[in-house]
Amino acid sequence: MQPWLSPVLKEENDVGLSDLMSMAKPNIEARDKILARISGKELVNCFQCIKCTSGCTALKLLELKPHEIIKLVNLGFVDELPSSDIIWTCVTCLKCVQRCPQKASPYHVIIALRNLAVEKEAKVPERYLKAVSQILETGQVDTYQKIVTRKMETVDRESLKLPKICAPKESFQVVFMKAMEEKTV
Amino acid sequence: MAVFWGCCILTNQYAYEMSLRHVLPMFDIELVDLPEAICCGDPIKSVNNFSASYLAARALSLANSTGLEDLLVPCNRCHFTLSETKKTIQNNTKIGQKILGLLKEEGLEYNANIKMWHTIDLLHDYVGLKRIKKAVSKPLKGLKVASHVGCQIIRYTDLRRVDDAENPKKLDELINALGAEAIDYPEKLDCCGAALLRSHPDSALSLAGSKLKAVQNLPADGMVVSCPECQLMFDAKQKDAGATVGAKLNVPVVYYTQLLGLALGIDEKKLGLDLNQSPVDQLQAKICA
Amino acid sequence: MTRIGVYVCHCGLNIAGVVDVEKVAEYAKTLSDVVVSKHYTYMCSEPGQRMIQEDIRNKKLDRIVIATCSPRMHEETFRRAVAEGGLNPYLTEIVNLREQVSWAHTHEPEKATEKAKALVRMGVARSRLLEPLEKRRVSVEKSVLVVGGGIAGIQASLDLANAGFPVYLVEKAPSIGGRMAQLDKTFPTLDCSACILTPKMVDVVKHPNITMLTNAEVTDVKGFVGNYEVTILKKPRYVDEKKCVGCEVCAQVCPVKVPDRFNENLTQKRAISIYSTHAVPNIATINSEYCLRLKYEKGVCGKCQEACEAEAIDFEEQPKTIHVKVGGVVLAVGSEVFNALQMAELGYGRFKNVISNIEFERISDASGPTGGKILSPKNGKTPKTIVFIQCVGSRDKRFHEYCCRVGCMVTLKQAILAREKIHENVKIYVCYIDMRAFGKGYDEFYGRARDMDVDFVAGLPSEIHESTDGSLYFDVFDKGTNKLLQIRTDLVVLGTGLVPNKDLADISALLHASRSADGFLLEAHPKLRPLESAAAGVFLAGACQGPKDIPDTVAQASGAAAKALDLLSHGEIEIEPLKAIVDEDLCSGCRICASICPFLAIEMKTDIIEGKEGARAEVVEAMCQGCGLCSSACPTGAIKIQQYSSKQVMIQVDAALAESCAEGGK
Repeated sequence: MQPWLSPVLKEENDVGLSDLMSMAKPNIEARDKILARISGKELVNCFQCIKCTSGCTALKLLELKPHEIIKLVNLGFVDELPSSDIIWTCVTCLKCVQRCPQKASPYHVIIALRNLAVEKEAKVPERYLKAVSQILETGQVDTYQKIVTRKMETVDRESLKLPKICAPKESFQVVFMKAMEEKTV
Repeated sequence: MAVFWGCCILTNQYAYEMSLRHVLPMFDIELVDLPEAICCGDPIKSVNNFSASYLAARALSLANSTGLEDLLVPCNRCHFTLSETKKTIQNNTKIGQKILGLLKEEGLEYNANIKMWHTIDLLHDYVGLKRIKKAVSKPLKGLKVASHVGCQIIRYTDLRRVDDAENPKKLDELINALGAEAIDYPEKLDCCGAALLRSHPDSALSLAGSKLKAVQNLPADGMVVSCPECQLMFDAKQKDAGATVGAKLNVPVVYYTQLLGLALGIDEKKLGLDLNQSPVDQLQAKICA
Repeated sequence: MTRIGVYVCHCGLNIAGVVDVEKVAEYAKTLSDVVVSKHYTYMCSEPGQRMIQEDIRNKKLDRIVIATCSPRMHEETFRRAVAEGGLNPYLTEIVNLREQVSWAHTHEPEKATEKAKALVRMGVARSRLLEPLEKRRVSVEKSVLVVGGGIAGIQASLDLANAGFPVYLVEKAPSIGGRMAQLDKTFPTLDCSACILTPKMVDVVKHPNITMLTNAEVTDVKGFVGNYEVTILKKPRYVDEKKCVGCEVCAQVCPVKVPDRFNENLTQKRAISIYSTHAVPNIATINSEYCLRLKYEKGVCGKCQEACEAEAIDFEEQPKTIHVKVGGVVLAVGSEVFNALQMAELGYGRFKNVISNIEFERISDASGPTGGKILSPKNGKTPKTIVFIQCVGSRDKRFHEYCCRVGCMVTLKQAILAREKIHENVKIYVCYIDMRAFGKGYDEFYGRARDMDVDFVAGLPSEIHESTDGSLYFDVFDKGTNKLLQIRTDLVVLGTGLVPNKDLADISALLHASRSADGFLLEAHPKLRPLESAAAGVFLAGACQGPKDIPDTVAQASGAAAKALDLLSHGEIEIEPLKAIVDEDLCSGCRICASICPFLAIEMKTDIIEGKEGARAEVVEAMCQGCGLCSSACPTGAIKIQQYSSKQVMIQVDAALAESCAEGGK
């Protein structure tokens, strides 16, 4: 991938970068794993114009800084990210993808980091794991709800005469489980 | 044409479905449901992006099984997910092959040539503004509306979306075609926050609340959306959003298809207007006045 | 009996680092007719060349094979060396062991060495069939066409004219001066742009050797290097250039308002007016798209004609076609400014107080729409805050990937000018990615801006909004402080970059001057030949070849002029003999070659052949580029490229297959 960044050396007098705050070293292998997941997105082209962070919907409330995440992954400081809370704050508004002048994509990198977090069994917000089991069970991510109207009536699909659409046949569950076993995109 | 509803519309955003089912026949469009109700994969992208793509491809294959050439996808997120998967299969032979292999296991066939529509471009481009204008029997004169087109149908441009990412005009033109006036406002392209609702509810409601607050300060009679997630945030969660940002929110929020239905003279019950939680009676009163 | 000398170059470690050059030289010795086979570190160096020359004399060599870098690098060098050694230079064969072997197969040294041997074997085989050729001489016109009357065109014209060459300077606009005439001050000296430009403009108009044609465009170019036939269309001004005195009374009475292009449409002019302040020539022009008399029937309006005391108005004026013959062409057509409407998120076009840097320049200029006062377009008041945003349309894969080179310096200049004019009553911010102040005095200029309390925010905003009072606001994250800032401002100046001129497509087609991927005109070689196009006789000056500032433009313009002088000063030029030639006995006059030649270098000449009138193909040597298309298309083999006959090519194929390492080979 990038021959000029040497792999992590095991000797005492290492050459290359280290983070003096956390004593972490770049993990090129892990970074390349992420690059493989988002093949086609030129993550490494980020030149830190900061436009993504300036316009990030999740910055003010949740302190998400897309430029920082890209730079950390770029330099190989990947290990701290999957277990962080910050990668779960992205609102997926796609403004960063739209406006990046170098076609880097913080959104896609964050999705890849989230996938990595699930694989490493780091902390993942409940709703995402629940979604998987819900889809496995019924094919959909929500259950059919009853709604209370403004006129205080309770309605549902049936009472509103909306057609019933079948749940997927059994074969779906088998194949879906197979799909879930894939580790790379 | 075929229609893929996703999960949100089928399980709780009934008004969108009702209004679409009543409005489209007025333009000679017959909706054909897919044989199965399935998720597009969007909620599990964060868990396993590959299997999310597989679900999206499965939805497209189910659409293919109807034999129809066009597929309506009324939800913004479903539309984005299916579009990205289409591109992935088109570009990436390894992943594409894997997905097609999985589909074959259920005897499903993927067809790259299915034409995907969203509600907005279906009405703006397929049906056309002229035809809509002609069909309007109750022009919404004097009604001022703030449009919220959402995020995932205008971004990102490389994926060829429904409208321009920085200057989306189609929904505004559709509103104007009803005789109403779509007004511009600085927060127009701000996100509703739905993606964070189940993991960071305060932040999600804060985003929705800020936007509603801004819309409330406009000379607008209401807000129009075209995505069930956005509607959920602005309409069903309006009270909670207001509480989060410390404001009393009183903004009528409707689906465009509901507004269209009113302009076409369709009965409000059929359009599911009872189901809206925001004060749409205000809006209806303005229309009837 | 041929006597072949083979020389294998190490090219330092470029070749020798991968290919075993000693083995290759040893191998060459085994080939028949090879009398000398040597290897050396740098064959192109003085000792290397001397080695060849001595061997030619002492060993009586009559063919030279040099296994080295690409012929595009040093073929000329080696040919000259061989000629100085007393042998016809075209008896030299270059074998490319660098681009085609060591650089392509860096990780497979053994296989690379085998390939090198095979290529040398092929080169030796071909060298036996090389023929001695002579360069031809063609007489040339000692005059030059300069297209574009900005500072690049002006400088090139003056240099050529001062050297005694007649120059035709063609400018599309009604006045010369180009972009520089629109500037207020120039960085980093803050010279008044008009003050340093107008003397040169006057020199142009006064120079006996320069024919200045304004309001004119080049419409056709025929011919070849040294002998161009150019057609120039002089568009009518509807004002007699000899009678107009430049009083502009006509403009005062004209009822029609038109957008003022020179002021970037910030104001309006009249349909008849002088193009700009300090215009050269200082003559009025009528805009035929708007003039009532020219658009509608006779008798309408005509107020200008009534008012003109010099009786200079002539509504009947027709466009004039001028034909000139020149030896070379200097392209100096400049560039345009990125249209920020394409980046709707920044509000340009929607919000009046978001302007481009060229618009700011006009506002700052004393001859501009506000008399040099910095005023916000929306309310005409002095702004209390000004924000400059960098890299608009540049360094951006969505629009133009390149860096526009001048954006940072322009902003620094404009920030300093704003400070000088409004003093401490304005806050000035610059939002940037990098600050590129690379030239002489440039970084000092950056320091000057910082000293003048221009604040730099390391980050770009994503979008700009307008509030109900007309002021603009946006969020921007600053890398330095790690803070999310909100900036409220009266005026936003976008650092819009320089982009290729729309006309370049037509111009490049006319002159066969290709363009690079970024859309600007392509230089023959970025380092070795930066002042000319690959098309012979076409020279490049200024921003049309790539965005650049005034110092670089003037330097390149003088350089291009020197190149043109170099080409034409002897009155004749040499033509490479590697061109197509026609064997008249074999030519059947089918015209296939003439129809496919991309350089229009083949003409059909009628001749009496065996008593009947017939056509024969004839090659215009000076235009022929030796591409070989005709040769492959000719059904009779009548036309072929010198030194590239079928025999000369096929013998290499035979040599390549003579030895094979593949299993079952031979």
